[in-house]
Amino acid sequence: MLTVLRGGHIVDPATKQDTIGDVWFQDGRIVAPPAHNKGDVEIDVSGHVVMAGAIDIHSHIAGGNVNTARLLLPELHRAVRARLVGTPLSTAKWSTYETGRLYAQMGFTTVVEPAMAPHHALQTHLELNDVPIIDKGALTVLGNDDFLLRMMRQGASESAINDYVALTVSNTHSLGLKCINPGGCESFKENMRAFGLDDVVPFYGVTSRQIFQLLQKSTQAVGVPHPLHLHMNNLGIAGNIDTALQTIDAAEGLPLHLAHVQFYAYGVEGKHGFSSASARFAEKINANPNVSVDVGQVMFSDTVTISSDVLKQFNSLSGAIPRKGAIFDGDANGGGVVPYAYKISNYYNAIQWAAGLELFLLIQNPEQVYFTTDHPNGGPFTAYPDLFALLMSADLRAQMMARLPADVLEHTTLPSISREYTLYEIAQMSRSGAAKLFGFKDRGQLGVGSVADIAVYKPSKDIAAMFRRAAYVFKDGERVVRDGNVTHYTRGKTLHISPAYDKNIHQRLDAYYAELYGLPRTIFNISEAALPKENAFAEVACRN
Amino acid sequence: MSKATLEGKTISLEEAYRKAADILRSARFPLIAGLGADIAGARSAILLAERVRGAFDHLASEEILADLDVMRSFSMFTTTPNEARVRADCFLFVGPGLTKLWPSMVERLAPDQSPRHGAQAGAPRKIFWLGPDASEAKGVGALSINAPVSEISSLLAQLRATIGGRPITREAAGATPAIAEIAQALKSAHFGVVVWSASAGLDALAIEMLQGIVADLNVSTRCTGVPIGARAGAAGVTQAAGWMTGFPPRTAFGRGYPEHDAWRFEARRLVESGEADAALWISAYDGEPPPWSRADLPLITLAPAGKQPGHGLYIEVGQPGVTHDAVEYAQEIAAMTLRKASQSTATPSVGIVIDAILAEISEASSC
Ligand SMILES: [Zn+2]
Repeated sequence: MLTVLRGGHIVDPATKQDTIGDVWFQDGRIVAPPAHNKGDVEIDVSGHVVMAGAIDIHSHIAGGNVNTARLLLPELHRAVRARLVGTPLSTAKWSTYETGRLYAQMGFTTVVEPAMAPHHALQTHLELNDVPIIDKGALTVLGNDDFLLRMMRQGASESAINDYVALTVSNTHSLGLKCINPGGCESFKENMRAFGLDDVVPFYGVTSRQIFQLLQKSTQAVGVPHPLHLHMNNLGIAGNIDTALQTIDAAEGLPLHLAHVQFYAYGVEGKHGFSSASARFAEKINANPNVSVDVGQVMFSDTVTISSDVLKQFNSLSGAIPRKGAIFDGDANGGGVVPYAYKISNYYNAIQWAAGLELFLLIQNPEQVYFTTDHPNGGPFTAYPDLFALLMSADLRAQMMARLPADVLEHTTLPSISREYTLYEIAQMSRSGAAKLFGFKDRGQLGVGSVADIAVYKPSKDIAAMFRRAAYVFKDGERVVRDGNVTHYTRGKTLHISPAYDKNIHQRLDAYYAELYGLPRTIFNISEAALPKENAFAEVACRN
Repeated sequence: MSKATLEGKTISLEEAYRKAADILRSARFPLIAGLGADIAGARSAILLAERVRGAFDHLASEEILADLDVMRSFSMFTTTPNEARVRADCFLFVGPGLTKLWPSMVERLAPDQSPRHGAQAGAPRKIFWLGPDASEAKGVGALSINAPVSEISSLLAQLRATIGGRPITREAAGATPAIAEIAQALKSAHFGVVVWSASAGLDALAIEMLQGIVADLNVSTRCTGVPIGARAGAAGVTQAAGWMTGFPPRTAFGRGYPEHDAWRFEARRLVESGEADAALWISAYDGEPPPWSRADLPLITLAPAGKQPGHGLYIEVGQPGVTHDAVEYAQEIAAMTLRKASQSTATPSVGIVIDAILAEISEASSC
């Protein structure tokens, strides 16, 4: 069936379109306009904005730690209304089903869960499988695992490390590698309560710097399209801007993605000893095009922090709101779940809010900075429309700033920034740039041959309202949203890569699991047979 | 050949699916209970509960909720059996029958071996057991404090006080000198691990005391816990319920969205009070029967061969990981795994049976 969306304002940075035009698609893909210029289905979208489906590069939507958060906080997600026909569990708050529905309603069609522990990968995939409509992906976490640290201690060859990295990514069906406080979680098991870039992991003799540099190189060597995704040391601590700047230097020009950088944009100025250092941070990022970042914007709300940085989460437990949490020492990273409430009247929270916006507005290249709230750590993903509105309106920011504690404005440059994002820049951040970051060749854009994942928005003075409820969303060419409501479910895929490796590593790993754990390594395997239906996965090509 | 019976008379599977759909569809508030199933079975059962706007509960919810209540009101420190095995330099087992609840516990945690990681590597572990079964503690070389399960809470309270340097009564101290020894061992351990199970009879108060000890110890050293999950796939079902509805079992869809209430949606209470007017009982692991006494309730039972109940509709199902491949939460790794069938048969799994029942209940007719 040939469908055409007529007369919309196409905003598609990948094809450099910012113009009125038609978008044609058939059999789930964007096609060139036919000579006869007649669609089987013609939809008038004049007066609307047409973009590719959005991509969220970092959102904690699945896996054991997320599920622990659900079970920890029943009071945070009481459901209030029955669902529509054809969408089971879609109003069950914080369920995987609701997650798919809410993303689709906002015009998002691909979301990446950024913290999949290798030994808990099956649960992550089971959960992702139960997120309807959207396509999913995940990043595999290494950097606190004994096998890697042991190899480093023994001075293993680069090729041996590469085989391990490629095998782990491949076996866990992910899109690449994430490193979370490298060495810090292992050190917490040895009772260290702080861990910096050049601290040494006890009994392994390696530093955080060495671990992430090695994984960064290895990621490149085995052809993972996504650069190493790094959650740095010292998250949330006043003065941690130094850690961030040193980490960028340590990247030595190689591709590196820094996660939720707002949580590292802190100086020590003012009477609270806590200030925004975003201006320095942004300057550094602008000067280092090898580095990309997502922001982890704080939005004022009751939420919960979910992180595999178990050392940091343990330290946060005493400040939990409400006062409870879960701390899990996993086979490698583990995780911590600590509820929290960001309040506009709280000096520290207000600095965090301002620091995040500064980063968005001071980083010049929209394809170098990604909008995230590090869902749910800085706020829920459902706050993205409000975030887009803040980026697109200096007036709206001024209104918000007027409500912050007065001394906050002395320790942020936000009041001096007049930049307003254009729709084109929003699309660069959320579509074309995000696709490049993961090596997606056929999504995040409306070029011929791309997946027909399309979001159509009705412009409004209320920018957040426009993005909150898409007028239409098409997933693989099928209409799934009309007037902000999901009409039915489709089944998205989980995207993954399969980097190649020397199969000799199997033997080494089999021996390792048998000797240390007394277990067959296969107990941790992911197979399609473990998921409820076939064809759960779709492969994305590696870099050559 | 798998079978189905209605009041003892053999019927075809197709007939059974239709009949089951009729029973559930015509009920005002049906109950999906037992839930002794693998992940696929639990998943289908919860989707069914949502479709017919019923409630779901697991046969071991009492135990599931004892642990969850502590997390939801206090906090919870846990680790994996692997991590305990390679790192623990002190084990404290709590409660009777742990080796029956988790038959491979000793093999997995290997308390007789030395830890492999950290400064403690190579040194023998210290091992204690509060309230073991007769002979159980000896098997792992533990110093045991024999006590009935009813006294475990107060022993844990003494232990917590001793660790915190708070006074305990002289009689208590005299009665259990080993408490001081355990306190000292946990305080000086690099990585202490407490192993417990609500299924051993520990209630939420005892588990909170135990987690209080762990939390206190973490102020200056490391300590954590390994919980032993309940029977009949409880831990996995809880996980699936969590991602599908946000809540653990004892959740209902009477209003079209999930509401969790550990009292209101307890299976036995719903049946005996008459609030539930039909039930689907699922017990695929071992055919454990329902806990209620009412025989007049329209009942559908999914259980393995040989576990046909005295009345109602019965559909034989396979045993997860025995007659069919099954994903379940594996105690030995504290994670999901795919168990391959050990004696594969064609008997349908819970998931397949429920999907077939669901197919008979159209979306429009249920709402
Ligand atoms: Zn994150």
